[in-house]
Amino acid sequence: MPRVRRAGWLAAAVCGWAVWLIPASIARAYQETEAGAPVSSERTASPAPTVSAGSVPQHLDYINEKLDAAWNEAGVKPSPDCTDAEFLRRAYLDLLGRIPNVKETNGFLSNSKDPGRRQKLIENLLAHPDYAKNMGTVFTNVLVGRRPQAQNVDREALATWLRTQFASERPWNEISRELLTATGSNKQNGAVNYALAHFADEKVNLTASSTRVFMGQQLQCTQCHDHPSNDWKQQDFWGINAFFRGTRSRPIETIEASGAVVRDGMEVYDEPTDDWARFEKRNAVVGVVPPTYLDGRRIDAGMDVVRRVELARFMTEPENDQFARAFVNRMWGHLVGRGMVHPVDDFGDHNPPSHPELLDQLAVDFRASNYNVKALIRWITASKAYHVSSRMTKSNDQDEALFSHYPLKPMTPEQLFDSLITATAAHRTEGGGSEKLREQWLRQFVVAFNNDEAGESSNFQGTIPQALMMMNGELMSKAVSGEPGSFLAYVLDQARLQRGMPPVRYAVENLYLASLSRPPTAAELRWASGLFDSNPDTLGVLQDLFWTLLNSNEFILNK
Amino acid sequence: MFERLHTPAGMTRRHFMGHLAATSLAVPASQLIYALQARAASPLGRSHKACILLWMGGGPSHMDTWDLKPESEKNGGEFRPIATSAPGIEICEHLPTVAKQMKHLNVLRSLNSREGNHDRGTYVMHTGYTPTPTIVHPSFGSVCSYELGHKAGEDFPLPHFISINGPGEGAGFLGMSHAPFYVQSPTSPISNLRPQGGIAELRLGRRLAMLGAVEDNFRTQNRGQAAADHKAVYQKTVKMMNSQYTRAFMLDDEAKELRDAYGRNSFGQGCLMARRLVEAGVTFVEVQLGGWDNHNDIFETLRNGNLPQLDQGMGTLVEDLSRRGMLDNTLVVWMGEFGRTPRINQNGGRDHWPNGWSVVMGGAGLKGGQAIGSTDKDGVEIVDRELSVQDVIATMAKAMEIDLATQYTTPNGRPFKIVDGGKPVPELI
Repeated sequence: MPRVRRAGWLAAAVCGWAVWLIPASIARAYQETEAGAPVSSERTASPAPTVSAGSVPQHLDYINEKLDAAWNEAGVKPSPDCTDAEFLRRAYLDLLGRIPNVKETNGFLSNSKDPGRRQKLIENLLAHPDYAKNMGTVFTNVLVGRRPQAQNVDREALATWLRTQFASERPWNEISRELLTATGSNKQNGAVNYALAHFADEKVNLTASSTRVFMGQQLQCTQCHDHPSNDWKQQDFWGINAFFRGTRSRPIETIEASGAVVRDGMEVYDEPTDDWARFEKRNAVVGVVPPTYLDGRRIDAGMDVVRRVELARFMTEPENDQFARAFVNRMWGHLVGRGMVHPVDDFGDHNPPSHPELLDQLAVDFRASNYNVKALIRWITASKAYHVSSRMTKSNDQDEALFSHYPLKPMTPEQLFDSLITATAAHRTEGGGSEKLREQWLRQFVVAFNNDEAGESSNFQGTIPQALMMMNGELMSKAVSGEPGSFLAYVLDQARLQRGMPPVRYAVENLYLASLSRPPTAAELRWASGLFDSNPDTLGVLQDLFWTLLNSNEFILNK
Repeated sequence: MFERLHTPAGMTRRHFMGHLAATSLAVPASQLIYALQARAASPLGRSHKACILLWMGGGPSHMDTWDLKPESEKNGGEFRPIATSAPGIEICEHLPTVAKQMKHLNVLRSLNSREGNHDRGTYVMHTGYTPTPTIVHPSFGSVCSYELGHKAGEDFPLPHFISINGPGEGAGFLGMSHAPFYVQSPTSPISNLRPQGGIAELRLGRRLAMLGAVEDNFRTQNRGQAAADHKAVYQKTVKMMNSQYTRAFMLDDEAKELRDAYGRNSFGQGCLMARRLVEAGVTFVEVQLGGWDNHNDIFETLRNGNLPQLDQGMGTLVEDLSRRGMLDNTLVVWMGEFGRTPRINQNGGRDHWPNGWSVVMGGAGLKGGQAIGSTDKDGVEIVDRELSVQDVIATMAKAMEIDLATQYTTPNGRPFKIVDGGKPVPELI
C-alpha cells in the first residue's frame, strides 16, 4: 500500500520559511566571492546584482523582503504556506506541464521530514526531460500562439528547436537572438518559423510580436497612431519595422529522382536593402523612417549590414534593462500566475509594476546570471509568492496584485491532456495505444480548450463543448473504463493484493492521489466508502468516482 | 446543483422524455419548441433579433452569382443573368430559387475589403478588424451573443452563437462563453451530447450528484471565483444536455418534403437547422459552405456543385423564414472572405479579389430588393459607392438593434468599438 502522509498545517508552520534559507555563511560566501555587493534594499536606477548564475535562495532575503513590505504597506497578510501536496502539483504543472503520477506523489509526500524537500523537488524537476519539452510548448505558444498556422509554418520544428535550447540550458539572450535573426530552411532550423509565422503585411506582425515577446511592450497600436497614454509614437513602431525590411522568404524546391519538383519547406534569408519604412499618418501624410531602435539609436542604413542582427543586438545587449525585465516578468507570471506587470507583456508608463524594485533587482540578477533561465526559476519558486496557499483569508481576499495568496490557474489544453494521460493511462488501453489516436485526442483538446486570451488569466473560461468533452468524450470514456492497461485496472489488481487494508479504501485513496495528487481527507474517505455501501457494483462505483474527480474543478485548476 | 436532472417526484429523465415524446405526437415538435421559446422570452414571441450568416469559405465568385457582367467579353464568363422578384436586379441563372426571394434581399456590389489572404480575409469579414498579434477581436456572432443573448432569459439552455459545418471565428476577449458552439455536421448527432458506452441516464445522474458534492467541497475553500465558474459551466452544460431544446438540433422532426427542398447536403440541412435554432431562441447561427476557392475550372465546378446547393439552401431558407413570419426578426447575410477576380485565368478559374465584390443581406426589418453600389462593365473598378467592411458590419449591427456606439474595454484596458467607423447603408434602413 502507498505510505502516504499528509503534511499538516502544523508541519508547515514548524518548517516555515527558515528551511528555505541556505545557511548564512554560504550565502555570504556567494555574495562576497561572486557578486561582491551586498543586497541593497534601496532602489537605485540600476541596482547592483546580488548573485550570479545558478545559485539558490539567498535571493529570498530580498524577494521576500519586498513582498513583505508591499503586504505591510497594503495591510494584508499572506495566506499560510500551501501543503506539500499542493506545492508538488503546482511545481509539476508549471515545470513539467503535467500533474505528478501516484508514484511521484507518494515519493514526495513520504519525505515530509526533509526540510529541503521542496527545493530538491524543484532541482529534480529542472533536471527532468519533461522540463525542456514543457518549456518548448509554453514558448511556442508565446511566440506563435495556438491558432492554426499557415501551411508555410512548421510549428513542430519550432517547438523541437525550443525544447533543444532549454534542454541545453541556453541563456535567454542567445535564444532570443537566434529567434530574431534565424535564417535557412524552416525544417532544418526550427527557429526560422518564428519570423515566418509573422511575415504578413510588411512584417507588421513581426514588429509587434518581437517588441511584445522580447521587450514586453505592446507597440502594435502605434502602427496606426501615437500611443494615447504614453510616449510611444507611430514612428517608433515603423522604426523597428524598418529592421525587418530586408527579410525575405522563398519556397525550397528539390527535384526528385523522377524529375518532379517537390516543395520542401521554406527558407528565410536577408537581402541587402537601403529601404526605409513608410507609413501613413492619421492626417494622411506619409512618414518615412530608417531602422531606429526605441531609444532613438539608428543604424547606418547601408547595404552591408544585416538589419535583423543589429536589431537583435539592440534588444539583447546587457545595457538593455527592459529585455531582462520582460523575461523576469513573464516567468514570474508563468509561475506565480500573474506578472508584477499585468498583463505580462504590457509594460509602459500607463501600466506600472506592482513591485518595481523587486522587478528591477531580479532583472539585474537575471542578467548577472547570464540570462540563466533555470536560475530564475529557482529564485521565483523559492520565494514566498510561490509557496502561499490559494486559500484566501479575510485579510487578503481583496488582494489581486500583491501575491498574498496563490491564484487558481486553469490548466492549459496541453497541461490538461498530459495530466489526464498521466492520471488514467487511457493511452495504454486497447485501441488507445496508437500514436494516431493520441494525436487526435490532443488536437481535440487544443481545439476545444484553446483560448488565445486566457494567457495568464485566472478566470475560468470554460465552454459547453469543453464540459461535454470532459464528461462524455472518448478519452474520458477510455480513462475510466477499467480496461486492461488503464490505471483503474492496475488499481483494481493491486487492491485485491493488499493485506491489512480494505481493497475499497486502497482504491479510493489511489484514485484521489492519481487525479488530485493528494490522499482523500477523512471526510472524503467516509463519503466515498458510503457510495460502496449502497451499491454492490464496485467497479461501477470506482468508475463513477474517478469520472467525478477528473471532471472536478479541483482537477482542472492548478491551485 | 444538478437538480434539473431529477424531475419532480422522482421522475427519471428517461421517463420524462417519454412524456415529452407523447406530447410531441400531439403537437408538431417545431411548434412545441416555439411555444417553449415564447414562454421563455415574451408572450409576443422572440424578444430580440437573430442573424443567420451564410459563410462561403474559400472566397465566392461574386461575378458568377450576384453581379454578372454579360457585357464584358473578357470577364463575363459562362453564366447568364436572370430576372428576380426584385425589379431591375438580375442574378445568376443557376440561382432560380433565390431569385424568387430577391425582393427580401439586397445586393451590396461595391465592397472593398482589402484583404486577399484566406485567413486574414476570414478574420476581417467576421470581426470588422484586421488581425493583430496581441488582441483577438470578437467575431460579430460573439458580439451578438454578448449583446443580445441575455434577452432570451437566463434560463435559455442553448448557446447563443452556433456555427454549422465549420468552427467559425471565436469570441476573442469577450470570453469563451460567447465563442461559437460548433456543429460539425447537421445530419449527425452533436458530439459528446450523450455519454459514451451506454452510460444510462440514471447513472449519469448519480455521477453528477457526486460531482456536485466534490465541486462544492473545493468551491467552499475560498480559493477564488474560478472554482465557482467551473461549476457554472458544468451546470449550463447539463442544462443543455437535459433540455428539450436540443431537439432543435434534430432535423427528423421536419417534413420530408421540406428537408428535400432545403437540399439533402450539409449546407441545405445546415440552413434548416439554423431556422430551427433561431426559432428556438438562438441569437446567431453561421452556416458554412466551402469549396469556393475556384482557381481552376470555375464554371464547371460551380454549375455542378456550389450553385445548386446554395440556391436550394439559401432560397428555401428565406422562403421558409418569410412564410413563418420569422424574416422580420431574422437577418440573413451571405458573404465569404473575399470575391474573385474579374479576370478569368489560364486555368479557367478566378483568383482572390477583395477590391470590389458583393455581399447579400436582408430581413430583420431591412428594406429589400435593392442593389447598392456598382463596378464597371468589366467588374474591375468600383464606379459607385465604395463600401468598407465596417459599413457592412455597421449595417448588420443596426439591423440587429445593437447600438453602434457600444464600446468595450479589452483586457489590456484599451477601448474597443464593436464597429470601428463605418456607416449603416442608409437605403437599407
